[in-house]
Amino acid sequence: MKVYKVAYLGSDNEAALALEASLSKAGMPFASAIGDQSGVKKALEFNADIVLWDLDNNPRGKPVPLEQIRKAGLVRQPVAVVASRDNTEGLIQSLAAGAVDFIYKPVKDDLLPRIIAALNVGQKQRRIEWYQRVIEDTNKQLHGILSTLKDPAYVVSPEYQILYMNRAAEEIFGEGLRGGACFHLFYDRADPCEICAKSKGPARWRAVLKNGKSYRFVSALIRNERGEVEKIAVGTDVTPDEEVRKIHKTFISNVSHDLRTPLAAIDQYVNIMMEGLAGELTYEQKQYLSVIKRSSFRLGNIIENLIDANNVLSGHFKLKMQVLTIEEIFSVVMDRLQSQADDKGITLQVQVPDDLPRVYGDKARIAQVIANVAGNSIKFTEQGMVQIRAGFMPRDEGRLIVSVEDTGIGIPKEDLGKIFELFYRVENDNVYVEEGAGLGLAISREIARTHGGTLWAESLEGMGSAFHIALPVHKGQQSTE
Amino acid sequence: MEEGKKLILVADDDRDLVTALSIRLRAAGYGVVGAHDGDEAYSVAQENKPDLIILDVRMPSGGGFSSIDRMKHSLTTRNTPVIFLTAFDDNEMREEANRLGAAGYFRKPFNDAEFMAAIKKILGV
Repeated sequence: MKVYKVAYLGSDNEAALALEASLSKAGMPFASAIGDQSGVKKALEFNADIVLWDLDNNPRGKPVPLEQIRKAGLVRQPVAVVASRDNTEGLIQSLAAGAVDFIYKPVKDDLLPRIIAALNVGQKQRRIEWYQRVIEDTNKQLHGILSTLKDPAYVVSPEYQILYMNRAAEEIFGEGLRGGACFHLFYDRADPCEICAKSKGPARWRAVLKNGKSYRFVSALIRNERGEVEKIAVGTDVTPDEEVRKIHKTFISNVSHDLRTPLAAIDQYVNIMMEGLAGELTYEQKQYLSVIKRSSFRLGNIIENLIDANNVLSGHFKLKMQVLTIEEIFSVVMDRLQSQADDKGITLQVQVPDDLPRVYGDKARIAQVIANVAGNSIKFTEQGMVQIRAGFMPRDEGRLIVSVEDTGIGIPKEDLGKIFELFYRVENDNVYVEEGAGLGLAISREIARTHGGTLWAESLEGMGSAFHIALPVHKGQQSTE
Repeated sequence: MEEGKKLILVADDDRDLVTALSIRLRAAGYGVVGAHDGDEAYSVAQENKPDLIILDVRMPSGGGFSSIDRMKHSLTTRNTPVIFLTAFDDNEMREEANRLGAAGYFRKPFNDAEFMAAIKKILGV
């Protein structure tokens, strides 16, 4: 059994002796001292686990002076009182003041269970006090953090009532809004904003606030003590991002404009000459013009790819999401590739099994990825075929996979990991392919990723390559368009 | 200008391109008048009452968007179809062109065959 040290503080020798007798039987160390500051010190030195305070130390009817005892150093020990049966007033007041239990005089010898019970109560009391202190400290820290935060933050009840606002939020939205509805913060609305009306979950949204700045808000859920879900929302000032984004967009738009403009004139004059609108041409002149035309076409492609790479890799592009069948995606791909394959005399084969689930994505962008990969296959295949196959990967929630396989030159092992890097080109002595700036696969992988999908490659050098595009399937109802 | 020929106004600040388009369109049997900025495009259109207007988006003294806005409110040109021919290519601009009542939007450098086919379709010849 655990040993508890018990200290009696009082001047009643009879009581002290009875206590000692009762406790020593159970092997509990006991100390006795008078009920004043010096006694408290002795109990401390004794390292008491519990203190028994004789109420006869005080005037009749007065409670145990718990505060003084604590101040004198017995900070954590539970205090029980020893009282005469006729001192009911003092006893009740002591219990109200925080005494954990009481023992009537004359002291009997069945004390032990009582003392252990008192110790347990004391322990619980101390734990509660500790929790309260932790809660108070944490509250102070949280409020400190929230009030020094430059970002606006607020908490709302499930009924959209503002429960708390930090200083930054008050500076932006105004003071005294606590208790009001959160949807008044953003717009002059009479009902909850769509984002909260639609979903009870955490949310993200952007808003231009009354200070004219753009903020990105993120909300998280917190469950309060009644089990209701409150929301805490924090906004980040993204005005500089928006400005940089705008400048970047304008810059790219102007640069692309100025790169395309002279190409249009080159094209036009070459065409005019080739069509004989500027007089008869010799065979050689026509040959040279077609070189100019081809080069200008390539230059145009590189410019478009660079602009596209910039848009895709900097995230400045929006997907036009819709529910799609693989057939309609393949039809766009075939429109783009058929003539290229025919020119090289390569068979382009498409296989689509029945009952494939649909995908949710941007038709043009997905087609761009497949056309890019399959276009490469055509480019690097001298004879044979390029196969585009759709299939289903059932793992987890299921994915649609499009595989493009060719009988081309393959990709050297050491290049396989790098082909998706920007500006990477496989150096090959045997085959020289002049087109391409090493952008297509980097763009394609990013587009696949933006769709929540993946793009990877495998290859047997000299035998052919395979590229696989996996896309999440549409989880909505299959019957809705 | 010969009788019966459809007249096309080509407005672009790139003079070389206006010249090239004139050669090409005349070879295809159309009459062509040129302009090199927004104000000029407007006055040439008022004076010549073209059957089709080809507008660049970025030009001095009023680009294609403000030009089309003016033309669509003028008695003379409000029913004249307008095609944009520009090196800008973003969805917002295409949508804006559409909203302002454009009959087409071609991005430079453009595909000759598609461009000529669009003109033929609009003019009926």
